[in-house]
Amino acid sequence: MGQLRMDNVQKRFGDTEVIKGVSLDIANGEFVVFVGPSGCGKSTLLRMIAGLEEISEGEILIDGTVVNDLAPVKRGISMVFQSYALYPHMSVYENIAFPLRVERLAQPEVDKRVKRASDILKLHERLTHKPGQLSGGQRQRVAIGRAIVREPEVFLFDEPLSNLDAALRAEMRVELSKLHRELEATMIYVTHDQVEAMTMADRIVVLDAGFVSQVGSPLELYHRPQNTFVAGFIGNPKMNFLPATCTESDETGATVQLSNGASIRVPVAARPGLEGQALTLGIRPEHIHVDEGDLVLEFTPTVVERLGIHTVTYSTLPDGNGTFTTVLEGTAPAETGKPLGHGFNAADCHLFDGAGAAFSRTAPMADTPPSVLPTGPDHTQ
Amino acid sequence: MIDKYTWWEKLLIYTGVLVFLTFVLAPFIEAFMVSLRPIDAVFRVPYRFFTEDMSFAAYFTMWENVPKLWRYILNSFFISCCATALALACIIPAAYSFSRFEYRFRNPILGGFLAINMIGAAVLIIPLYKLMLNLGLLNSYASMIIPGAAFTVPTGIFLMRSYLLRIPKELEEAAYVDGAGRIYTLWRVILPVALPGIVVVAITTFITAYAQQFLFALTFNSNSDLHPLPMGLYQFFGRQRIVWNELMAASLVGILPVLLVYVFLQRYIVAGLTAGAVKE
Ligand SMILES: Nc1ncnc2c1ncn2[C@@H]1O[C@H](COP(=O)(O)OP(=O)(O)OP(=O)(O)O)[C@@H](O)[C@H]1O
Ligand SMILES: [Mg+2]
Repeated sequence: MGQLRMDNVQKRFGDTEVIKGVSLDIANGEFVVFVGPSGCGKSTLLRMIAGLEEISEGEILIDGTVVNDLAPVKRGISMVFQSYALYPHMSVYENIAFPLRVERLAQPEVDKRVKRASDILKLHERLTHKPGQLSGGQRQRVAIGRAIVREPEVFLFDEPLSNLDAALRAEMRVELSKLHRELEATMIYVTHDQVEAMTMADRIVVLDAGFVSQVGSPLELYHRPQNTFVAGFIGNPKMNFLPATCTESDETGATVQLSNGASIRVPVAARPGLEGQALTLGIRPEHIHVDEGDLVLEFTPTVVERLGIHTVTYSTLPDGNGTFTTVLEGTAPAETGKPLGHGFNAADCHLFDGAGAAFSRTAPMADTPPSVLPTGPDHTQ
Repeated sequence: MIDKYTWWEKLLIYTGVLVFLTFVLAPFIEAFMVSLRPIDAVFRVPYRFFTEDMSFAAYFTMWENVPKLWRYILNSFFISCCATALALACIIPAAYSFSRFEYRFRNPILGGFLAINMIGAAVLIIPLYKLMLNLGLLNSYASMIIPGAAFTVPTGIFLMRSYLLRIPKELEEAAYVDGAGRIYTLWRVILPVALPGIVVVAITTFITAYAQQFLFALTFNSNSDLHPLPMGLYQFFGRQRIVWNELMAASLVGILPVLLVYVFLQRYIVAGLTAGAVKE
């Protein structure tokens, strides 16, 4: 079956280290999404799994077999490329049938498999067309069709939807999730689109400059980011960070003082003896309320965007470095240039130490279905 | 596009085009006019462009005057076709290798090919003669085909390589992931996609080979049955006089195959030489 394991996988291009030791277990049938900023090595990691890129160090195992030196087709994977990589001179039928032609399957079997793929992807009316005559979404479906005819155990997708417009992307997202359920295959999906990651993934792997920053379910990453990188990367608009100094701490929480003298006690699993240390307080824009909350800070919005359902404000922090973003109700009384009380609750706060590692939050997360949350506060990997 | 030229700018442009075209085409037109004149009227003084005594007679008498003329034309065509086929068989794999693989001395080798282009056939003709002599290839079609192909290979590799470089790598990677080998991918994926480029290379090779064969035929071949057209034309140089009108007629008939190839495939040439220059 499609069980995949990476053991301290590394990749060097000449002297530059691109993947710096990734260990990961992916269960059969799981939908795993790799996210991360541009250039962090997502594609490289995926191409190493595919067998298109040599593995400098470490091992990749599929179903318990080390596949480091196996050709892609022997690994039981198939890959969908960002640019689709359809063969322009072949019909849709021949494009989908290509892997079967390589295998020299008999024509009736080819017919059967192509028909099944085109049924799943609703392509039967297009089988005689050339890729040039198709729309972007249809081309993407042909590329997926070519990947599924071989019935692989692991599907690899490298930003398959990034060439499509927003509406089509939303549609294909749903179709891919459906496909995942139908095929019950393992899927590894690279994207830099957070919405894709959050909606499709069973687990998200956040990559940061060749390292795995955190692995977890979408809501786990949202509610319990392990460090400032993940906290800032997951969530849109991104989390606000305020410098703070610890004044008192124990296992049940830490009291921090902000630069304006205000103080708040954050319910996290801290430890005693943090007094005097510089920490970072994180608060998501959507957790800000006008004039209400455990702590109210006064900032002056420099830009106010009214989106109807929400009002988004951007204020420059008093010390001049950084922006404070909020997502308020559509009717919020925010105005450019007029001071506004930014209130938030201690339970919504995140606290990070000087190195950027998070203290586990102990507050119950009332707005989250319990099934998607990890049980213990120290749940990692 | 908005027509942004004033009338006098247009006049200037068209005058320029006219001068250029006259310069390029005048020899052909004069050749054609000469072929229509009777032989005594060719050097008439004073020169007159149109005369009443013009006819297509030379186009008929030339076949009698030089009975093997048709054979020379066919030879020319045959030699160029073979040279093109042979050259393509070398160019395509070489260009593929230059465009896809990393190996030591790749760029020096490519540079070496281009350097050969600069030296040209004329300089190497004596060593080549010795080579042909040693290989026992003198006075055969091969003696004209092989060097003809060899000297078109460098340019061909360069053209083909730049075309192949534009074919996305992902196309091959997709085939590789699906289990196809190098040769299968080259045959089923790369060559069909590169077809316009191959046509361009084939045409330029054909035309170059057609133009070059005179030198090789002159040096390596003395069997008059194997002569290509440019050698055959020498037979119009009679003992007392040169039969200019028939010579011109035969030349024009001789370039006809190239012209036909060009006319039918020229849209590929334009498309192939400019493909990718503009985002499609
Ligand atoms: N063939 C190569 N030679 C040298 N460096 C490479 C090569 N391929 C990728 N890199 C480097 O590896 C790093 C990671 O590249 P990769 O394509 O994996 O990024 P990515 O996370 O997929 O980014 P994006 O979101 O922009 O696609 C980049 O810094 C890139 O410059
Ligand atoms: Mg990428």
